[in-house]
Amino acid sequence: MSKAYDVIVIGAGAVGTSCAYHLVKKGMSVALIDMRDVARGSSSHCDAAALLSDKQPGVDVALGYDSIRRFLELQEELSNPFDLEQGGSLTVCETEAQVELGAEYVKAMQADGYDFQMLDKYEMKQKEPFLADDLPGGFWSSACCSLSPFKLCFAFVDEVKGKGLDVFIHTKVTNILLDDKGAVCGVDTDQGRFTAKNVVNCAGVWSGKVCDYLGLYFPVEPRNGIILVSSQTAPMCHQKVQEYGYLITKFQTGFKQDPLVEKYNVTMNIEPTEGNNVIIGGSRNFTGFTEVADINVIRAIARRAIRFFPILKDMNCVRAYQGMRPYMAEHLPVISAVDEVPGFFIAAGHEGDGIALDPVTGQLISELVAGEKPHKDISEYSYSRYKGKGPKA
Amino acid sequence: MAERFDDDMLVCRCEEVTVGQVREAIRRGACDVTDVKLRTRAGMGLCQGRTCEALVQAILRQELGLPADKTGYSTPRTPQRPVSFGTLGGDIDE
Repeated sequence: MSKAYDVIVIGAGAVGTSCAYHLVKKGMSVALIDMRDVARGSSSHCDAAALLSDKQPGVDVALGYDSIRRFLELQEELSNPFDLEQGGSLTVCETEAQVELGAEYVKAMQADGYDFQMLDKYEMKQKEPFLADDLPGGFWSSACCSLSPFKLCFAFVDEVKGKGLDVFIHTKVTNILLDDKGAVCGVDTDQGRFTAKNVVNCAGVWSGKVCDYLGLYFPVEPRNGIILVSSQTAPMCHQKVQEYGYLITKFQTGFKQDPLVEKYNVTMNIEPTEGNNVIIGGSRNFTGFTEVADINVIRAIARRAIRFFPILKDMNCVRAYQGMRPYMAEHLPVISAVDEVPGFFIAAGHEGDGIALDPVTGQLISELVAGEKPHKDISEYSYSRYKGKGPKA
Repeated sequence: MAERFDDDMLVCRCEEVTVGQVREAIRRGACDVTDVKLRTRAGMGLCQGRTCEALVQAILRQELGLPADKTGYSTPRTPQRPVSFGTLGGDIDE
């Protein structure tokens, strides 16, 4: 089975399938390899949104916006639907102090040219009538999208499969091969050897293990998030809604939060799905490589959600699932060539932004592998931040 | 399981998934219950696969010639049956 390809992509989640698709679009032949099925890991155990309202002003939101623009193009470009809807998102503040912080954030976003608006409690209730009465206000961002992440993965694959893309699922990479000059020349798997001059590591929470084959330091860790699914419901939530506290837990430390939020690191976000359920998050906890969800965190999420949407109290929960987010301490993914190993690229460590940054990540990797200048400045995402660091460097 | 199901037979009543759709998912690479679920939504509805899982397993055995212990099962998840968010969030230890 030693067929030669231009590129081998390891990992068939949201990031890997986007990279594979965009590489094929550049005219390269690609082998997409995954130890399980397409979208079987984090990309089917996450929520379903591409937001601007969870990004920081600057390069973070710029890349997020570029990605949303590309999602809108992909909706036309891909034959299979991935349920993209640009419905906007609502961020709800719980206290006047949060409203003040939120207003600063909105001002910074508006200054960068993004459509963000502050809402008072009445404007907010018009958008979401079932919100609790005592909430003082929030803000609205019109560009935010919802989509089905696993349908997106399948849409990428189905579009180019057999037309430059070969997919090898249930195939585990066991080593990365180097030639006598130290450049990439292929991979070994439990199903045989694959030959290629370029390898892209899109293995998400497992990308550190892939880097281990080359002795490269890559400190990615699984940070686990639990999401609750309601039974089918008449519309009680009309767009992505998140509490402002979520941004605080994502970007800041040391800010006084609700005790429940602090103890279980839980914040409320909720969104309607294509199946007429709502999905409700969420949590961020370091509990290692596991699919088992902690009942206390599940209960804290339910409690927190009822605080914002009291109507949920009498609605049914049918399932709670947990996904592993590829966390990096810098809160920045790596989208980069690796200078130490010619032909080796990394697109991993997106934590909760793997879906939001999915299209732009694939596009950037295809540009890097093709030897082109990336269409965005991505120096912040360079692997060089780990140069000389780590036990193996 | 000698009998071969018709393509238009309903497998998952909650999400209205047919035998034909499950076979199509398998043709596209699905190898176990969760692969099929991701591609068809079979098992994602109110009953969470309690009715359809055995049927999906049977179709996997028929189509792929798998032994019974290789068709997989849906990941066990809390809650075991539908429960209100109010009950879930009730008396948590703060």
